[in-house]
Amino acid sequence: MKDVYLAWSSDESILERAEHGGVVTSLLKFMLDSEMVDAVLALKPRNGNRYEGVPALITDPGQVIETAGSLHCASPNIARCLKTYLDGVTDMKVAVTGKPCDIRAIVELAKRKQIARENVILVGLNCTGTLPPAAAKRMCREAFGVDPDEVTAEDIEDGRLTLTLRDGTEVSRDLALLESEGYGRRENCQRCDVHIPIMADLACGKWGTSGGNVTCVEVCSQSGSDVLAKAVGAGALEVKRPSSEALQVRERRDKEATDAAKAWQERHFAEMGGSSSEQRLAYWTEQFSQCIKCFACKDACPICYCTDCYLEADRGFIAAGQVPPDIVFPILRTVHVADSCINCGQCQDACPSELPLSRLAHMLNVEIGAVLGYHSGMDIGAPPPLSAVPEDELAMLVAAGT
Amino acid sequence: MTMMLEYVPTVCPYCGCGCGVHLVVRDGRIIGVEPWKEHPVNEGKNCPKGRNAFEFLYAEGRLERPLVRENGSLQETSWEKALEMIAERLRDADPGSVGLINSGKLTNEDLYVLQKLARCALKTNNMDNCSRFCHSTTVPALVSTVGSGVMPTSQTDIAQADCILLAGVNVKETYPLIARRIIRAKQRGTRVIVVDPRRTVTAKVLADIHLQLRPGADVALVNAMVKTIVEEGLEDSDFIARRTKGVEELRAYLAAADMDELAEVAGVPVHAIREAARTYARAERGCILYNAGIAQHAAGIGNIKVLANLALLTGNYGRSGTGVNPLRGHLNGEGFGDMGPLAVFYPGFAPVNEATAARFERHWGVVGLPSEPGMSYMDMMEKCDVLYVIGANPMASAPDTGRVAALLASKEFLVVQDIFMTETAELADVILPAAAWAEKEGTVTEVDRRVQRIGKAVAPPGEARPDWKVFCELAGMMDAEGEFDYGSAEEVFEEIRRTVPQYAGITYERLERAGGIQWPCPSEDHPGTETMFVGRFATPDGLGHFQVVAYEEPVEMTDEEYPYVLTNGRLIFHYHSGTMSRRTKRLNDEAPSGFVELNTQDARETGIEDGNEVRVKSRRGEIRATARVTDDIRRGMLFMPWHFTESGPNTLTGPCAGPPSKMPEFKFCAARIEAMR
Repeated sequence: MKDVYLAWSSDESILERAEHGGVVTSLLKFMLDSEMVDAVLALKPRNGNRYEGVPALITDPGQVIETAGSLHCASPNIARCLKTYLDGVTDMKVAVTGKPCDIRAIVELAKRKQIARENVILVGLNCTGTLPPAAAKRMCREAFGVDPDEVTAEDIEDGRLTLTLRDGTEVSRDLALLESEGYGRRENCQRCDVHIPIMADLACGKWGTSGGNVTCVEVCSQSGSDVLAKAVGAGALEVKRPSSEALQVRERRDKEATDAAKAWQERHFAEMGGSSSEQRLAYWTEQFSQCIKCFACKDACPICYCTDCYLEADRGFIAAGQVPPDIVFPILRTVHVADSCINCGQCQDACPSELPLSRLAHMLNVEIGAVLGYHSGMDIGAPPPLSAVPEDELAMLVAAGT
Repeated sequence: MTMMLEYVPTVCPYCGCGCGVHLVVRDGRIIGVEPWKEHPVNEGKNCPKGRNAFEFLYAEGRLERPLVRENGSLQETSWEKALEMIAERLRDADPGSVGLINSGKLTNEDLYVLQKLARCALKTNNMDNCSRFCHSTTVPALVSTVGSGVMPTSQTDIAQADCILLAGVNVKETYPLIARRIIRAKQRGTRVIVVDPRRTVTAKVLADIHLQLRPGADVALVNAMVKTIVEEGLEDSDFIARRTKGVEELRAYLAAADMDELAEVAGVPVHAIREAARTYARAERGCILYNAGIAQHAAGIGNIKVLANLALLTGNYGRSGTGVNPLRGHLNGEGFGDMGPLAVFYPGFAPVNEATAARFERHWGVVGLPSEPGMSYMDMMEKCDVLYVIGANPMASAPDTGRVAALLASKEFLVVQDIFMTETAELADVILPAAAWAEKEGTVTEVDRRVQRIGKAVAPPGEARPDWKVFCELAGMMDAEGEFDYGSAEEVFEEIRRTVPQYAGITYERLERAGGIQWPCPSEDHPGTETMFVGRFATPDGLGHFQVVAYEEPVEMTDEEYPYVLTNGRLIFHYHSGTMSRRTKRLNDEAPSGFVELNTQDARETGIEDGNEVRVKSRRGEIRATARVTDDIRRGMLFMPWHFTESGPNTLTGPCAGPPSKMPEFKFCAARIEAMR
């Protein structure tokens, strides 16, 4: 039985600036006001620029409002920020907002003891995709005929991408058509089939709101339940239950988005090299010949958590200074992460040689997941199959004398 | 507990692409680099250097306080004492005896104030920098053909080309984010031709056609290509008629040339030359990118002129994704030319003469500005008694290191302003600590005339100061005429806008947008210029001028005693003399030391095995290196990277071209190699 509410902020000033009832903003502000957390990590448009979304570490409740609204043209690496730049938040309590991929990345890192899960309150945000910012600006001009600086909001709904302009007008285009022209969402977003972040503490989105100035909030954990109850109790938010029709709409939209994602998965995975092993080997040999050992993929990947990576030159395994590196370099990394890839797309975003890294890892993950019955990033209690040895398996190995 | 975390946008400090990065600053210290996905040049991607851009800032040995040499050893001193000492020496010096060697790493503001100081206080035009060593041939060559030595297309438009010709540029290693544009172009079917005597990684993974020519034979090769295009009627007659001059002389010259002879000189079979020529000529948009392999020759001017011929003949100018495109190396290589801290130009490419001097006297409210061209880099090294070296390392970058060391040691007074104790700083009488990139505000100008801001993300260490501030203080101490009381880098930029017409419409505020603004930008409502020469060329008659160039041998040919051609170049993991990159762990781990590439057969015949220690000698000196035996280099050729000063090929290089370029022939000198027993 899902625990779902419709919520809206009690704060007029938040309602004015935020979207859909300002619920996430109010939750974050409440958590700071009540000292439930030391800080909040959310996204803000740097200097008001919608195409430059950066992580914002906020301790002053009055500044939370800067993170209000959704930025579709921003995809900074939130999990990396927590893990590396905030030292896994071992010494502070934070509330973090994130898309499903961000939350799944945090879950996987928590499994690997790189983020102190007990110190984090995860406020998940529904998502059907983000856009690469430089390309999005070109898209505004070329595919919409508008000045990207005039866009004040973006929305993806019912298979359409709609841009709201400063003068209040809207321009809208069919998303599938846009994407067939080479515009639209990041590739991994096209394939992504996890839209409601139920692996967070709370999952917030607009599905199920029937267009009202409210947010639909699903309580996903005891921690999430506590936060919501306290926020309501303190008068920061008001809530009511959604109608069963609204919940059905929410389910339907989720399924439609998932079906569309699966179609993209088929297409993307089929485009990689052909059906025979020889063809695929030739394809990947050519692709990987462009690698320049920048390590951006390794740095960006939430699953690549080793601080002393085997692929670094000082380990003596991959010959130093060789460009392209031995093909073992990209293959080994792929093999190490494949069981847990969450399709966040950060590797492919960061690759200067245009390698389809996210496609490859995601494809393998889908296949491995089916075989091993493992869905990465969903359940913090489920150990990564290729690196964890459960008790019964260990006992079996011992018994077999290995 | 961390409380302050900021993502600060800026531009990578290394090469002339000017890729955007977000610096992650925690409690006043940079701790990481994250992708700046909005940036139009690199869209969130970086090369190994950019990914590790900030590390050198915190390496041991940052210069933090001024140092003076007393009784043979360096002692810390105050800024006031150090600057007073310098001011005194400069005040008494004869203008002809002072030389200022500056840098492509200095910001536009630094360089503008420097040339103002030199001209107002020192009354000298003796200024130059390492651009002498890379694009001093570009400027005369492209000025004579198209009127201006800048990159005519935008980096962001390179993928529009249908054929890309990479001449003497190992883009995969030296401009990786331009290589990305080429990867994208290839995805849409673009054909790539690589001209390089080495089988570089660029040749291996990007080339559809690799013309592995004999070193220094570029003029013969390109003349042969142009001859093919003319003979097979593949020229763009309409473009030639409307927009060029001089094709008849070129046609006549090439008609008399023998194709087999040209091919023989080039060391490339005729059929390969023809295929390359046809591929380029038939492309809707042909884009030529070139760099040191073409420019760093005594015949560099000719090498570049013939590339211009190729583009003019086929109508490959004035449209996006075309042109003959020089790639300036440094972060601010283009800005250096624009700001004019050099012997023959005032700011904005105003030629040094009486009219220009008079104009700047009015701008600056001074009198008596120098109106005779000054000395260029190596002439200053030879003839000046007093040298002020800022952000430059002649002990690594200049040819004939042995001679450079002797010259520097003989200077009456040597001042070095830098961020680390470089090989050059070790010889100085006074050393001034400079604030580095990310520690000061300013602007820089990239290969495609792209002006961008670099911001101050953290404070400089110790007492290190921004270069332009040091120049202002020096001006004050010397009671220089002219205004040097700028309160900020932005104030300097406002003056640059008034004196450099190409920058007139650019402001710090406008530069807050990702990707900056490409000049020319004549007014504040002008968006900047992506493509040059759209309607006319920058020549006096607006036309492109074909040039007849005959092949000339490099200055120092091989002989029995020195039978190998020694060439040198760069690696992806390091940058120039290694001041920054060799203090960065990941980069240093990949490439900790130098080597010499030797052909497999040559190795067999000389009894040298891969990994052996060898001696490499030229008429000027001798160095030790580790042999790297490979099939990727031609017989009779040696290649060394020049990032490792302990086995620096510049100990062996030497011969230079005469005026106007005075380009050292880094890419070709005579050497021998011996196993060390």
